[in-house]
Amino acid sequence: MGRQVAIASAGFCEHAVRRSDVSMPEMVKEAIDDCLSKVPSVGIEDIDMFVNGNMPAFEGASIPELWMTDWMGARNKPLMRVTTGGTTGGTVAIAGYYSVAAGLPGVDTVLAVAFEQQSQGDTSVGLSSVALGELTAIQSIGMPLQKMKRLVSAGAAIGIAAYQATNYMRKSKITEEDLARVVVQNRRNAAKNWYTHLKMPNVTIEEVLDTPYISYPLRFGMVCPASDGCCAMLFTTEEKAKDMADIPVYVNGVASVANETGIMGYNAGGGGQLDPSEQLGAQRSAELAFDQAGISFPGKEIDYAEVYAPFPNQELMWVEKLGLFETNTAPEMYANGTTAANGEFPINTSGGVNSTNAIGASAMERPAEAALQIMGKAGNQVPKTVHTSLGHGWGGIINLITMMVMADEPKRKFK
Amino acid sequence: MTEQNVVTNKGMVRAEFNFWVGKYMDKFYDNLENKKIVGNKCPKCSDVFVPPRQVCGKCNETIPLEQNWVDLTDTGTLKNYTITKWKITERGSRKVKDSIIGMVQIDGSNTAIIYKLLDVDPADVKTGMKVKIEWNDKTKGEPGDIKGFVKA
Amino acid sequence: MDKVGIVGYYYMKMSPDLIYGRYNLIFETVRGALDSVNLKKKDITTVISATNDYYDGRTISNAYCVEPAGAYLADESKAEMDGAFAAQYGLMRILSGNHKLAVVWGGSTPSCYPYDSAQLYQTDPTFERPIALVNNITAGGFQMRAYMEKYGVSAEDIAKVAVKNRKNAAKNPLANPEAQNANITVDDVLKSDILSDPVTELMYAAPCDGLAAILLAPEKQALKITDEPVWIKGVGSNQDPYYLGDRDLSECKSMEMAAKMAFDGAGITAKDVDFAEIFEQYAHEELILAEAIGLAEKGKANELNSEINGDIPINPSGGAIAGHAPFATGLMRIIEAVKQLQGKADGYQVKDPKVAIATGQIGFCAQNNILYVLEKGGN
Repeated sequence: MGRQVAIASAGFCEHAVRRSDVSMPEMVKEAIDDCLSKVPSVGIEDIDMFVNGNMPAFEGASIPELWMTDWMGARNKPLMRVTTGGTTGGTVAIAGYYSVAAGLPGVDTVLAVAFEQQSQGDTSVGLSSVALGELTAIQSIGMPLQKMKRLVSAGAAIGIAAYQATNYMRKSKITEEDLARVVVQNRRNAAKNWYTHLKMPNVTIEEVLDTPYISYPLRFGMVCPASDGCCAMLFTTEEKAKDMADIPVYVNGVASVANETGIMGYNAGGGGQLDPSEQLGAQRSAELAFDQAGISFPGKEIDYAEVYAPFPNQELMWVEKLGLFETNTAPEMYANGTTAANGEFPINTSGGVNSTNAIGASAMERPAEAALQIMGKAGNQVPKTVHTSLGHGWGGIINLITMMVMADEPKRKFK
Repeated sequence: MTEQNVVTNKGMVRAEFNFWVGKYMDKFYDNLENKKIVGNKCPKCSDVFVPPRQVCGKCNETIPLEQNWVDLTDTGTLKNYTITKWKITERGSRKVKDSIIGMVQIDGSNTAIIYKLLDVDPADVKTGMKVKIEWNDKTKGEPGDIKGFVKA
Repeated sequence: MDKVGIVGYYYMKMSPDLIYGRYNLIFETVRGALDSVNLKKKDITTVISATNDYYDGRTISNAYCVEPAGAYLADESKAEMDGAFAAQYGLMRILSGNHKLAVVWGGSTPSCYPYDSAQLYQTDPTFERPIALVNNITAGGFQMRAYMEKYGVSAEDIAKVAVKNRKNAAKNPLANPEAQNANITVDDVLKSDILSDPVTELMYAAPCDGLAAILLAPEKQALKITDEPVWIKGVGSNQDPYYLGDRDLSECKSMEMAAKMAFDGAGITAKDVDFAEIFEQYAHEELILAEAIGLAEKGKANELNSEINGDIPINPSGGAIAGHAPFATGLMRIIEAVKQLQGKADGYQVKDPKVAIATGQIGFCAQNNILYVLEKGGN
């Protein structure tokens, strides 16, 4: 059952703190145009199905794919909308993959689009409503709101990320300098990638460490920006991809495994993740995706990885949890240049989520960048030849992990 | 990258969202402020859109921003209508008076916009009747500049 | 298309207000589907939910449903569409070969949020939303007038559909009690409160609380799980343009194309269908959709005998008018079709059906439609 899926193209629109020159559908169209411009033989009429997603509450628009039908070119075509919070982009890409893999009659080529125009809404309104239900539940069992705010994700993602960071730092003995080093690598990489948001070609570790704390250990200079942006990916069958692209990229494994909810658990009973740096979901996702792709030694077999890390501590954590590096060795890899663009195992040379975060699009930009590295078309292309790469995303209440493993050869294991 | 008009929506959660209207609607609202209706024309099928859009969905054709603008009148034809007492923005609340909501095709355009019909007896409303825009006294370059439509 | 079976299902009795906690409802629904065929949490490999952040009043609403929906350490995703679309995603995941048992659940509790005004959030925020004249109710008014004026169908003809569906609902034990009425007349429907002229309150599928879940499995596994699987033979979906002014509301082109895709995939035509479960937001929409599917000529669906014992029964369960639980309604249409094919629709059973269709939709005036062709399996 099922069939091999390939990525024929991926595109972006220019990201910025405010894309006030375009409406939401116009912004989405920019990324679609960029995606299709890389495959001249493909027109919008060749698309059999569309997948669309963003984080609806952040923009104050419910199911906006209905409104942007014509801008996407989806009039009188099948269209599916998926969304899962921070992982929306990864979820949309995976839905694009399944739409092709399923082999539904008449569905071969699928365009997946993920976007966010955060400048339109108040993102913190959206984020506080993530926590709101939890807060209400806690208040009903007698915990004061102020205390609760300090404990969980109330207000913004940084609350939960800081908690995750301290947990991880305690176990792995990393320093704040290690965190700053990751940021410097990302921001300098972003300066070489055309569509990114925070471009800082000359930023130094000292400068990052000189900014104030937002929430220990995360400083202002270490956290991701809020961006407007969109990403589009073109999925198709193995056969058609060969006609469309010079170097088609084959998707060999995907997974999106859910872990327990947040810290307090869905019903605030305290049954959730006690240690958000443990990441069972990520480990299980990696297992599933690598198994489908026939990868036994990810650290050796994968050439390039894009991990979803708005905060630097997460980047260090993910590369270890996903099996790319040994536990507690990630800071060293950043210090000795292994993860640099010209290093042995480049990570996030696009600049990563740390430099550009249009939330709904971010988790799609990871597999998109990882695919473009194989095609040799990435904005900040690495010098070495990339055969196998990985795009990762996290979201939900740090509980949902998306994975897409791809290569220049079709290796999907049929089950 | 230049900044354009925004339209503000008051949300139920008491959060305000500012939507960038984009390049095409920006020009539309600039004209609306001067009590003028503009549309744009698909270069392929010649359909005229009010309000203007970037894409003709029928042809999958991008309409260039600088071209194909059409000046239109403030008259049109009622294509469809519905009458309701219910308030759209609030659950379960209704007004004393019926509002007649009309779908009006501006003369020279190929689509229809939805506004209230003003000063018309519900019994007199017929699809196909000619209507014309009732402008707000003070226009601000936003959708509310058109108060509604009256019998032409 | 390889065979995929619907092997289990569950939905609880709908109600205007279920008064229960949301997570308890999700647990009861998913657990109910698993229990219907004696499966366990560990058997689930993927879970797809159908919910909407606006309806749930919380961003990333699916994140909190992981444990009650049995998705812990399973491959999880959310389709922010009607449950019938989520079922398509579940189907694709099974067809890919990556998964052996998919749970698809959907639903919401409109008793907790203003359903009709929440629809305003779907409108174009740069033009229509500030004027606030378009929501599902006024869109329904436009649609009914367009249909009546184009084909000369009378309000009585449309009221008859509401009467049929509400009478059928009275026989369906899981229907919303407010929709069940065995003695309703055409006059009652026409004289009920006007929602948006010409639509009256009893022609409208009023939102109510409810959730639904189905289980999908590949052929081999399906036959191990149950003796009476129902096979998905074909599926098709399609999307119309957004602006109501762009569309001919008297017909539904997207449903025509969705039906063609599904029928072609299944290798059948509309004539081979024994009965239909159609997601209609309004009485008149059942007629428009039935015509789009090809069950009747345009403008003639009111002449069909669509009663339970008629030539082509439509919505023997009462359809969405029997209870419209947003984001579960399409799944409920699938479940009701499966029940009929299994001969388990006690009190409203269609005689010996073999092939059924079930539809789902989302958007104003059925902008985006999906249609399933389902076939009786087993003995």
